[in-house]
Amino acid sequence: MLNSMTTELDDDSARWLEELRSQGPLRGQAHSRLHEILHRVTRAEAFRRRDTLPPDVAGDLDDLCLQAANDAVVAVLGKLDGFRGASRFTTWAYKFALLEVSVRLRRRAWSRRRVALDEVSWGHLVDPAHGPERSVEHEELLSTVRQLVESTLTENQRRVFLAVVSEEIPIDVIAERTGSSRGAVYKALHDARRRLRTAMTVVGHRGAK
Amino acid sequence: MNEDIRNRLLGSTSPDPGCDACFEILDQYAEAMLRGVDAARLFPQVVAHLESCEACREDTEGLIAMLRSQSLDETK
Repeated sequence: MLNSMTTELDDDSARWLEELRSQGPLRGQAHSRLHEILHRVTRAEAFRRRDTLPPDVAGDLDDLCLQAANDAVVAVLGKLDGFRGASRFTTWAYKFALLEVSVRLRRRAWSRRRVALDEVSWGHLVDPAHGPERSVEHEELLSTVRQLVESTLTENQRRVFLAVVSEEIPIDVIAERTGSSRGAVYKALHDARRRLRTAMTVVGHRGAK
Repeated sequence: MNEDIRNRLLGSTSPDPGCDACFEILDQYAEAMLRGVDAARLFPQVVAHLESCEACREDTEGLIAMLRSQSLDETK
Protein backbone atom coordinates (compact mmCIF):
# COMPACT_ATOMS: atom_id res chain seq x y z
CA MET A 1 0.00 0.00 0.00
CA LEU A 2 1.50 3.27 -1.07
CA ASN A 3 1.26 6.46 0.93
CA SER A 4 -1.84 7.83 -0.73
CA MET A 5 -3.82 9.69 1.88
CA THR A 6 -6.79 11.96 2.18
CA THR A 7 -6.27 15.17 4.08
CA GLU A 8 -8.13 18.40 4.60
CA LEU A 9 -7.90 20.58 1.52
CA ASP A 10 -5.94 23.80 1.61
CA ASP A 11 -7.95 26.89 0.64
CA ASP A 12 -6.54 27.18 -2.85
CA SER A 13 -7.19 23.50 -3.68
CA ALA A 14 -10.72 23.69 -2.26
CA ARG A 15 -11.43 26.71 -4.44
CA TRP A 16 -10.13 24.93 -7.54
CA LEU A 17 -12.39 21.94 -6.91
CA GLU A 18 -15.41 24.08 -6.14
CA GLU A 19 -15.01 26.17 -9.28
CA LEU A 20 -14.21 23.27 -11.59
CA ARG A 21 -17.32 21.45 -10.36
CA SER A 22 -19.57 24.50 -10.40
CA GLN A 23 -22.11 25.36 -13.08
CA GLY A 24 -22.22 28.48 -15.22
CA PRO A 25 -19.49 30.97 -16.07
CA LEU A 26 -17.34 30.19 -13.02
CA ARG A 27 -16.77 26.69 -14.35
CA GLY A 28 -15.71 27.94 -17.78
CA GLN A 29 -13.33 30.44 -16.22
CA ALA A 30 -11.80 27.73 -14.02
CA HIS A 31 -11.31 25.46 -17.06
CA SER A 32 -9.59 28.29 -18.92
CA ARG A 33 -7.36 29.03 -15.93
CA LEU A 34 -6.50 25.35 -15.59
CA HIS A 35 -5.58 25.17 -19.26
CA GLU A 36 -3.46 28.28 -18.92
CA ILE A 37 -1.39 26.96 -16.02
CA LEU A 38 -0.99 23.49 -17.54
CA HIS A 39 0.08 25.04 -20.84
CA ARG A 40 2.68 27.01 -18.89
CA VAL A 41 3.90 23.72 -17.38
CA THR A 42 4.18 21.96 -20.74
CA ARG A 43 6.11 24.90 -22.23
CA ALA A 44 8.43 25.11 -19.23
CA GLU A 45 9.18 21.39 -19.40
CA ALA A 46 9.80 21.46 -23.15
CA PHE A 47 12.18 24.39 -22.59
CA ARG A 48 13.93 22.51 -19.75
CA ARG A 49 14.55 19.54 -22.04
CA ARG A 50 15.40 21.50 -25.19
CA ASP A 51 19.09 20.52 -25.12
CA THR A 52 18.23 16.81 -25.16
CA LEU A 53 16.05 17.12 -28.27
CA PRO A 54 17.06 16.96 -31.94
CA PRO A 55 17.36 20.54 -33.33
CA ASP A 56 14.36 20.21 -35.67
CA VAL A 57 12.19 19.07 -32.75
CA ALA A 58 13.48 21.69 -30.32
CA GLY A 59 12.61 24.45 -32.76
CA ASP A 60 9.01 23.39 -33.27
CA LEU A 61 7.34 22.71 -29.96
CA ASP A 62 4.43 25.17 -29.77
CA ASP A 63 1.80 22.81 -31.14
CA LEU A 64 3.17 19.88 -29.14
CA CYS A 65 2.93 21.87 -25.89
CA LEU A 66 -0.58 23.03 -26.69
CA GLN A 67 -1.78 19.49 -27.48
CA ALA A 68 -0.16 18.21 -24.30
CA ALA A 69 -1.92 20.91 -22.27
CA ASN A 70 -5.25 20.09 -23.94
CA ASP A 71 -4.94 16.40 -23.08
CA ALA A 72 -3.72 17.18 -19.57
CA VAL A 73 -6.85 19.25 -18.91
CA VAL A 74 -9.03 16.36 -20.09
CA ALA A 75 -7.09 13.96 -17.84
CA VAL A 76 -7.35 16.24 -14.80
CA LEU A 77 -11.08 16.82 -15.25
CA GLY A 78 -11.65 13.10 -15.79
CA LYS A 79 -9.83 12.20 -12.59
CA LEU A 80 -11.05 15.07 -10.44
CA ASP A 81 -12.86 12.73 -8.03
CA GLY A 82 -9.54 10.95 -7.45
CA PHE A 83 -7.93 14.05 -5.99
CA ARG A 84 -7.72 13.47 -2.22
CA GLY A 85 -5.93 16.61 -1.17
CA ALA A 86 -2.71 14.84 -0.19
CA SER A 87 -0.87 17.53 -2.16
CA ARG A 88 -1.83 20.94 -3.48
CA PHE A 89 -4.31 20.70 -6.33
CA THR A 90 -1.94 22.48 -8.70
CA THR A 91 0.89 20.02 -7.95
CA TRP A 92 -1.49 17.14 -8.59
CA ALA A 93 -2.62 18.72 -11.88
CA TYR A 94 0.95 19.55 -12.96
CA LYS A 95 1.94 15.88 -12.99
CA PHE A 96 -0.62 15.17 -15.72
CA ALA A 97 0.82 17.99 -17.83
CA LEU A 98 4.34 16.70 -17.20
CA LEU A 99 3.35 13.20 -18.29
CA GLU A 100 1.57 14.39 -21.42
CA VAL A 101 4.39 16.62 -22.59
CA SER A 102 7.23 14.25 -21.75
CA VAL A 103 5.64 11.33 -23.60
CA ARG A 104 5.15 13.55 -26.64
CA LEU A 105 8.70 14.90 -26.48
CA ARG A 106 10.22 11.40 -26.37
CA ARG A 107 8.04 10.18 -29.20
CA ARG A 108 8.73 13.25 -31.33
CA ALA A 109 12.46 12.91 -30.73
CA TRP A 110 12.29 9.34 -32.02
CA SER A 111 9.70 9.92 -34.73
CA ARG A 112 12.21 9.82 -37.58
CA ARG A 113 14.21 6.96 -36.19
CA ARG A 114 13.57 3.43 -37.24
CA VAL A 115 12.58 1.20 -34.35
CA ALA A 116 12.60 -2.48 -35.27
CA LEU A 117 11.80 -4.38 -32.12
CA ASP A 118 12.19 -7.69 -33.96
CA GLU A 119 15.80 -6.80 -34.67
CA VAL A 120 16.95 -5.53 -31.29
CA SER A 121 20.41 -6.73 -30.36
CA TRP A 122 23.10 -6.34 -27.74
CA GLY A 123 24.58 -3.58 -29.91
CA HIS A 124 27.13 -1.35 -28.26
CA LEU A 125 26.48 -2.79 -24.81
CA VAL A 126 28.82 -5.64 -25.73
CA ASP A 127 30.93 -3.77 -28.29
CA PRO A 128 34.41 -3.22 -26.79
CA ALA A 129 34.78 -0.11 -28.97
CA HIS A 130 32.18 1.69 -26.85
CA GLY A 131 32.66 2.96 -23.33
CA PRO A 132 35.61 2.70 -20.97
CA GLU A 133 37.76 -0.38 -20.63
CA ARG A 134 35.81 -3.06 -18.85
CA SER A 135 36.95 -5.20 -15.96
CA VAL A 136 36.97 -8.98 -16.10
CA GLU A 137 34.11 -8.91 -13.63
CA HIS A 138 32.11 -6.62 -15.90
CA GLU A 139 32.69 -8.85 -18.92
CA GLU A 140 31.73 -11.91 -16.90
CA LEU A 141 28.46 -10.29 -15.79
CA LEU A 142 27.62 -9.27 -19.35
CA SER A 143 28.37 -12.73 -20.66
CA THR A 144 26.23 -14.44 -18.01
CA VAL A 145 23.30 -12.06 -18.48
CA ARG A 146 23.52 -12.47 -22.24
CA GLN A 147 23.25 -16.24 -21.95
CA LEU A 148 20.37 -16.02 -19.45
CA VAL A 149 18.45 -13.53 -21.59
CA GLU A 150 18.39 -16.12 -24.37
CA SER A 151 17.59 -19.08 -22.11
CA THR A 152 15.18 -17.72 -19.50
CA LEU A 153 13.19 -14.77 -20.87
CA THR A 154 10.01 -14.89 -22.92
CA GLU A 155 10.22 -13.42 -26.42
CA ASN A 156 8.42 -10.25 -25.33
CA GLN A 157 10.64 -9.84 -22.24
CA ARG A 158 13.76 -10.37 -24.37
CA ARG A 159 12.70 -7.75 -26.91
CA VAL A 160 11.77 -5.17 -24.27
CA PHE A 161 14.91 -5.87 -22.24
CA LEU A 162 17.23 -5.44 -25.22
CA ALA A 163 15.33 -2.45 -26.58
CA VAL A 164 15.62 -0.57 -23.29
CA VAL A 165 18.93 -1.80 -21.87
CA SER A 166 20.98 -2.20 -25.01
CA GLU A 167 19.36 -0.04 -27.70
CA GLU A 168 18.36 2.66 -25.16
CA ILE A 169 14.94 3.16 -26.71
CA PRO A 170 12.63 5.10 -24.32
CA ILE A 171 9.81 2.96 -22.95
CA ASP A 172 7.27 5.55 -24.14
CA VAL A 173 8.50 5.00 -27.69
CA ILE A 174 8.31 1.22 -27.32
CA ALA A 175 4.79 1.61 -25.93
CA GLU A 176 3.77 3.73 -28.92
CA ARG A 177 5.23 1.34 -31.50
CA THR A 178 3.65 -1.71 -29.86
CA GLY A 179 0.29 -0.16 -29.04
CA SER A 180 0.98 -0.63 -25.33
CA SER A 181 1.42 1.66 -22.32
CA ARG A 182 4.43 2.89 -20.36
CA GLY A 183 3.31 0.84 -17.37
CA ALA A 184 2.94 -2.36 -19.38
CA VAL A 185 6.33 -1.98 -21.07
CA TYR A 186 7.99 -1.21 -17.74
CA LYS A 187 6.35 -4.28 -16.18
CA ALA A 188 7.78 -6.48 -18.94
CA LEU A 189 11.23 -4.98 -18.24
CA HIS A 190 10.79 -5.35 -14.49
CA ASP A 191 9.70 -8.99 -14.83
CA ALA A 192 12.62 -9.68 -17.16
CA ARG A 193 15.12 -8.25 -14.70
CA ARG A 194 13.58 -10.17 -11.79
CA ARG A 195 13.73 -13.39 -13.79
CA LEU A 196 17.36 -12.70 -14.67
CA ARG A 197 18.29 -12.03 -11.03
CA THR A 198 16.67 -15.29 -9.99
CA ALA A 199 18.42 -17.18 -12.78
CA MET A 200 21.75 -15.64 -11.79
CA THR A 201 21.28 -16.81 -8.24
CA VAL A 202 20.55 -20.31 -9.51
CA VAL A 203 23.76 -20.38 -11.56
CA GLY A 204 25.63 -18.94 -8.57
CA HIS A 205 26.62 -15.57 -10.02
CA ARG A 206 27.29 -13.02 -7.28
CA GLY A 207 26.14 -10.13 -9.51
CA ALA A 208 22.52 -11.00 -8.68
CA LYS A 209 22.96 -9.72 -5.13
CA MET B 1 31.28 -4.85 -9.32
CA ASN B 2 30.40 -1.82 -11.43
CA GLU B 3 27.04 -0.77 -9.92
CA ASP B 4 26.01 1.23 -12.99
CA ILE B 5 26.15 -1.72 -15.34
CA ARG B 6 24.65 -4.03 -12.71
CA ASN B 7 21.68 -1.69 -12.21
CA ARG B 8 21.29 -1.16 -15.92
CA LEU B 9 21.13 -4.89 -16.55
CA LEU B 10 19.39 -6.18 -13.46
CA GLY B 11 17.63 -3.17 -11.90
CA SER B 12 16.94 -2.64 -8.23
CA THR B 13 16.08 -5.45 -5.85
CA SER B 14 13.88 -3.12 -3.76
CA PRO B 15 10.08 -3.50 -4.05
CA ASP B 16 9.01 -1.55 -7.13
CA PRO B 17 5.31 -0.66 -7.51
CA GLY B 18 5.61 0.22 -11.22
CA CYS B 19 4.85 3.35 -13.24
CA ASP B 20 1.12 3.70 -12.57
CA ALA B 21 1.32 3.29 -8.80
CA CYS B 22 4.29 5.64 -8.67
CA PHE B 23 2.40 8.25 -10.70
CA GLU B 24 -0.47 8.13 -8.21
CA ILE B 25 1.66 9.62 -5.45
CA LEU B 26 4.25 11.53 -7.47
CA ASP B 27 2.72 14.85 -6.41
CA GLN B 28 3.15 13.96 -2.73
CA TYR B 29 6.71 12.79 -3.32
CA ALA B 30 7.62 15.99 -5.21
CA GLU B 31 6.19 18.22 -2.49
CA ALA B 32 8.04 16.22 0.16
CA MET B 33 11.27 16.69 -1.78
CA LEU B 34 10.62 20.40 -1.98
CA ARG B 35 9.97 20.64 1.76
CA GLY B 36 13.30 18.94 2.35
CA VAL B 37 11.80 16.14 4.40
CA ASP B 38 13.11 12.59 4.17
CA ALA B 39 11.21 11.57 1.03
CA ALA B 40 13.20 8.35 0.76
CA ARG B 41 11.87 7.23 4.15
CA LEU B 42 8.30 8.35 3.42
CA PHE B 43 8.17 6.98 -0.12
CA PRO B 44 10.67 4.09 -0.39
CA GLN B 45 8.76 2.44 -3.22
CA VAL B 46 8.76 5.61 -5.31
CA VAL B 47 12.49 5.92 -4.77
CA ALA B 48 12.98 2.29 -5.81
CA HIS B 49 10.92 2.82 -8.94
CA LEU B 50 12.69 6.02 -9.93
CA GLU B 51 16.04 4.23 -9.63
CA SER B 52 14.97 1.80 -12.33
CA CYS B 53 12.59 3.81 -14.55
CA GLU B 54 14.26 6.57 -16.54
CA ALA B 55 10.98 7.94 -17.95
CA CYS B 56 9.36 8.38 -14.53
CA ARG B 57 12.60 9.77 -13.14
CA GLU B 58 12.77 12.46 -15.83
CA ASP B 59 9.12 13.35 -15.32
CA THR B 60 9.66 13.64 -11.57
CA GLU B 61 12.66 15.90 -12.13
CA GLY B 62 10.43 18.08 -14.31
CA LEU B 63 7.72 18.25 -11.67
CA ILE B 64 10.20 19.18 -8.95
CA ALA B 65 11.83 21.77 -11.23
CA MET B 66 8.41 23.29 -11.91
CA LEU B 67 7.58 23.48 -8.20
CA ARG B 68 11.01 24.97 -7.44
CA SER B 69 10.62 27.70 -10.05
CA GLN B 70 7.14 28.47 -8.77
CA SER B 71 8.44 28.60 -5.23
CA LEU B 72 11.13 31.05 -6.32
CA ASP B 73 8.53 33.19 -8.09
CA GLU B 74 6.44 33.33 -4.92
CA THR B 75 9.37 34.58 -2.85
CA LYS B 76 10.18 37.42 -5.28
